Amino acid sequence: MAEVIEVLNISEGEPGFSDEIMKLGAEELLDCIQCAKCAAACPMVLAGFEFFNKRIIQSILIGQKEILLDDSSIWACQACNRCTEVCPRKVEPFGVVMAMRRSAIREFALPTLAVEGLKSLYDVGHAVYFSNAGEIRKKIGLPEKPPTTASNEQALKELRILMNKSALSSLGIIPMDSGLSDVTCCEV
Amino acid sequence: MKVGFFIGCNTAFNRPDLEKAFRFVFDALGIEIDDLEGQSCCPSWGTMPSVDEAGWCALGARNFIISEEKNVDMVTVCGSCYGSLSESKYKMEKKPELREKVNEMLKAIGKEYKGTTRIRLATNFLYNEVGIEKIKNSLKYTLEGVTIGVQPGCHSLWPSEVYQEGEKDPFHPVMLRELCEALGASAPYYSRIVDCCGMGGMRSTNVEASYKLVKTKLDSMKDEIKADLLVTGCSSCLIQFDTAQAPMKRENKINYEIPSVHYVQLLALCLGADPQQVVGLSTTDLSGILGKLKKIN
Ligand code: SF4
Ligand code: SF4
Repeated sequence: MAEVIEVLNISEGEPGFSDEIMKLGAEELLDCIQCAKCAAACPMVLAGFEFFNKRIIQSILIGQKEILLDDSSIWACQACNRCTEVCPRKVEPFGVVMAMRRSAIREFALPTLAVEGLKSLYDVGHAVYFSNAGEIRKKIGLPEKPPTTASNEQALKELRILMNKSALSSLGIIPMDSGLSDVTCCEV
Repeated sequence: MKVGFFIGCNTAFNRPDLEKAFRFVFDALGIEIDDLEGQSCCPSWGTMPSVDEAGWCALGARNFIISEEKNVDMVTVCGSCYGSLSESKYKMEKKPELREKVNEMLKAIGKEYKGTTRIRLATNFLYNEVGIEKIKNSLKYTLEGVTIGVQPGCHSLWPSEVYQEGEKDPFHPVMLRELCEALGASAPYYSRIVDCCGMGGMRSTNVEASYKLVKTKLDSMKDEIKADLLVTGCSSCLIQFDTAQAPMKRENKINYEIPSVHYVQLLALCLGADPQQVVGLSTTDLSGILGKLKKIN
C-alpha cells in the first residue's frame, strides 16, 4: 500500500478530472459534502486501505488523478453499496469508485487480475473459469459443462458481439476478434 | 412453479456442489428449474461494470432476455450475480437513454430487452415464495442444538432501493436467521452480523487486508455466540470462509475453525441429499455438523 499522503497539493490538480468522472457514470459527484458517512460504513476502511469512498471523491474533486492511478485501492472496493445506502446527499459513492475504475482502465492502470477476468469473460463468457472443473462436476453428478456460454457457441458469439460493441473494443486491453464488430448474428 | 437458475461462474466452476445442492433443493420442493441455456457471467464487478456502464448493462440484459423468453424469474445463489444483475436492471429502468443505448447494441444479436423478469436471491426466494412453514414441513432431518452464525452477504442487503424483496432493515437482517431456525438450529444476532467477508475485489487486491475482515467476523461469531457453523446466503462469502480459514490457522491468525456452508447446501442436507454431492467440495471440516443431523420419524 502507498504511504499516507498528508498534504494534497491542490494547485497541481488536473483540470477537468471531475467532469471526466461524472461522464463515466458518477453524475452526482459534485453533491458530496465530505461528511464521511460513507467512510464510516465502508469495509475498505475497516481493512485499512488508503483510498476509500470519501477520500477517492475528495481526490477527484481536487483533480488528483495521478494519486488515484498510483494506488490500487479502487480495485479493492467490494461493490457492497453500504456507502450508497447511507449517503445523505445521494452521491452514490460506489458509482464514483466505478467511474474512477473506468478512468483508470482508460489509462491502462488496471491490475493483472482484472485483465485476466476480462479476457476470460471474452473467451468463455465467464470472468471466473477453471478449465479443469469438468472432472469435479462429473463426479458429483453434473454434466461436464454448465448450460452456459461455456458449452454454447452461439451464445458465446452473441456475448462477444456485445463486448465488441462496448467501450472495451476501442481500449486495446484484451485481444478481441475485430471481425465481430459489424456482425449481426444468430437468427434462430 | 418454475424458475430460471442463474448459475454464476463461481458456483459452476468453483463450487459445483452448491449447484448440485440448488438443483436438489428446488426439485425436492417441487419447483421446476429452467436452465436458461446460453446464460453467461452476470457480468462481475471487476469486468464490464469497471469498463463501461452500457457494456455492463448489455451483458446483463442478454441474460435477462433469456429469462424473458422463457417467462421465468431468475434465481441465483450468488450475491455478486444478484447485485450486478439487479443494479443493471435498476439502471436501465431509471435511465431511459441507457436502456435505449443497450437495446441499440442488442440489435446486433437480434434481441430486445423488455425488463419483464426479475433476478432473485435464492435465500430471499425461499423465504418469500416457499415460506418457512413449507420448508419446515418438507424436512427429513433437523439440526437441533446447532448454533449458526449467519452471513447474509453485502449484496443481499444494499442498496435497499434496488432490491425488491430485501430486509425491512438491511442493517439488522433477519431472513437468513429465520431460515436457519426453520431447520431446528439457533441463529442468534452477533455484533458483526452485517460485516463484509472480504472476498471479491478486496481479496484479489490485498489478501492480508481481506483476512482482517474474516478474522473480525469469525472472532465475533466465536466469542459472542459460540457458533458451531457458519451459514452464508452468497457463494462468494462461502468460498471466502471455506478457503481462508486453513491458511489463517497456519499463520496463527486464528486457532479455531468454523465449518462453513451456503444455506442452500444446508437445506439440501436437511432435505435428505447425499453429503458427497451437495457439500463434497468443502475444505472446512463438516463431519461434526453432519453427525448432528437428526432424522425425523
Ligand atoms: S459521498 Fe455522501 S456520505 Fe460520502 S462524504 Fe460525500 S456526502 Fe458524505
Ligand atoms: S461499495 Fe466500495 S466504497 Fe462503498 S462501502 Fe462498499 S467497499 Fe466501500
